[in-house]
Amino acid sequence: MTRTILLTTLGLGVALCAQAGDLHGKVACKGIRNSADAVVYVAAIQGKTFPAPAKHAEVDQKNLVFLPHVLPVLVGTTVDFKNDDAVLHNVFSPDACCSRFNLGTWPQGQSRSYTFKNECQATLLCKVHPEMEGFVVAVPTPYYALTKADGSFDIKNVPDGQYTLKVWHPKLKGTQKAVKVAGSTQVDFEIAR
Amino acid sequence: MNSLRTHLRNLGGLAAAAGFLLGLASPLQAFPIFARKYQTSCTTCHTVYPKLNAFGEAFRLNGYRMPKETEDQIKQQPVSLGAEAYKRVWPGAVWPNELPGNAPVAVNVKMANVYNAATDASGNKTVVHNDFQFPQEVNLFAAGTLGEHMSFMSELTHAENADGSSSVEIEHARLDFDSILGPEHAFNVRVGKFAPNLYDGFQEMWIMTDNGVDSLFNYNPIGFNGGTGLVADDLGAPVIALPARVRGLEAYGVLHHRFFWTLGVSNKIGPGGNTIVTGPGALDNNPANTPTGVPNGNFNNSSHKDIYLRFDYKFGGMGLDGDTEGVALPPENWREKSLRVGVLGLKGDGTGIDFLVTDPSGLLVDPSGASFHMQDTSYTRGGLFASWVYSDLNVFGVYLRGKDSLQLRSADNLTVLTESDRTFNAYFVQADYVIAPPFQVSARFEKLTPADATVQPLKTTNLDFTYLAAANVKLMLEFNKADQAGVGSNKSINTILRAAF
Repeated sequence: MTRTILLTTLGLGVALCAQAGDLHGKVACKGIRNSADAVVYVAAIQGKTFPAPAKHAEVDQKNLVFLPHVLPVLVGTTVDFKNDDAVLHNVFSPDACCSRFNLGTWPQGQSRSYTFKNECQATLLCKVHPEMEGFVVAVPTPYYALTKADGSFDIKNVPDGQYTLKVWHPKLKGTQKAVKVAGSTQVDFEIAR
Repeated sequence: MNSLRTHLRNLGGLAAAAGFLLGLASPLQAFPIFARKYQTSCTTCHTVYPKLNAFGEAFRLNGYRMPKETEDQIKQQPVSLGAEAYKRVWPGAVWPNELPGNAPVAVNVKMANVYNAATDASGNKTVVHNDFQFPQEVNLFAAGTLGEHMSFMSELTHAENADGSSSVEIEHARLDFDSILGPEHAFNVRVGKFAPNLYDGFQEMWIMTDNGVDSLFNYNPIGFNGGTGLVADDLGAPVIALPARVRGLEAYGVLHHRFFWTLGVSNKIGPGGNTIVTGPGALDNNPANTPTGVPNGNFNNSSHKDIYLRFDYKFGGMGLDGDTEGVALPPENWREKSLRVGVLGLKGDGTGIDFLVTDPSGLLVDPSGASFHMQDTSYTRGGLFASWVYSDLNVFGVYLRGKDSLQLRSADNLTVLTESDRTFNAYFVQADYVIAPPFQVSARFEKLTPADATVQPLKTTNLDFTYLAAANVKLMLEFNKADQAGVGSNKSINTILRAAF
């Protein structure tokens, strides 16, 4: 009986140690309208790789706007770029990290795809409508989140451990912090121009 | 020909002897455009428009941007002419920019009841009237920012004159390129027709009165013994004192929050449409065009340019770029304790430009009736200024000294008859006081000592009471008295209703 209790206790302990926590907090974006659109992600973890998801991510072009404005994805993800407008759209990126891709021009109802093979903060532009701007942020781990308007973020199922947590924003200077995840862990940031 | 000459003689006499009787330059007004853009009151930037408080001055010098502006402050979203990232695509695409979200226009309307009483040298009343000038002036403004590094401002003024005529003038039209080199605010460039930063806003943005500082800006240095007095803008007569507005190119900036500099090059002021320009030295030699005197189609009338510069420093109060670090400021945004001092200078060359010559008796003519000519071959202006703000009181003033090298030429313009160097002095000191935000008073004294020693100095007193009925509507009662011994005096009491919307 005593032996059974001991084994059960040990087993629970091991299970608790292996349990994933979550990273949450706020990113305060100074000098801009709200704190949305910051990408918070765990930087590359030495010796660990993550398989690319089979499911495609999606960016829509509707009412002459990229939706979502910022899309974080895991490296290796294929993104489908839709056109939901009655006008032609184009998507290209001036960034070398995504080989400065240019997907051409296509009409409403169609889409074109691109696979983000490297870590990248890719700016999306449309040659037909120069005011359109969007971003795909390809990050090296599946532990990422996009902040809400109030700056809050929540990254689920992060294994306990030591990581570098990075923040990227389309307009503001990024930053990073070393964090120790142990169960539910709070991390706050403040970024500015 | 004779009738025109008589007319010109009359105008010259009026300009030289009694120019100060006329309504001369008026200050600029406010731009409610920015009240709309930021959804804020006029009094954010103005003590009583157009007089700027320290924040408004920083806003102006920042190219119509708030100090450390954030997106949240801009309530009217601009229209994108290209995503930010297109900068990296250039020259593969056009450099991105922005347009104001709404048409950036505003209107000022001015109604004036003008009471004028003048006496000549013998004490006889020469002018008395009580005139409803409804409206006296309407101004259409456009101003705003174009992206991060450009801004613009223009003002179109429509005025109705007492003689039944009306006039339209582009008073300002400029493009500014803001913070284009070095630290923020350090180096800006503007091009167009504008009030030069040479004198910042003595005429435009510092004063709250309806009457401008004419002794500083409307002095005419041309005359047989040097200049005799003021001239009126609307006569198109020569004014080479300080240019109230120039067509030019100017660099300016704020360094270390408190040091202001500017360096500009501008067209000089030509003889104007009322000057007969004839003879081999005239720019327009086409006899068919004389005696209209219309210059040669250029604004400048010669290839020479004026060069001007100014430096100043502000001690205490808000920084000139809006910096408030280490400064305790009261919540009343017109108050601070500060002292701003500076120097200014201008140099120009009027060689080749013929002006008609007047003395106190009028236009100078030779026995045949032909007009003598005069050229201002070199003119320099140097000045000092200071502005002291102590809580509700602002005392400021400018001292200006001008030197002109004058060549008197024969009517056929072939012979230089005399050459002389003449100097004039002008200064003003003004005190503005905020009794309470809606009630403000101002007192100004001006003195102009003309270069012509045979005429007496011109002294002007200007008293103003302003009631700010609302942030954008004001009622002004203004008394102005100008005296020149041997010439006469003029008193005016103007009641002005002005609205900006």
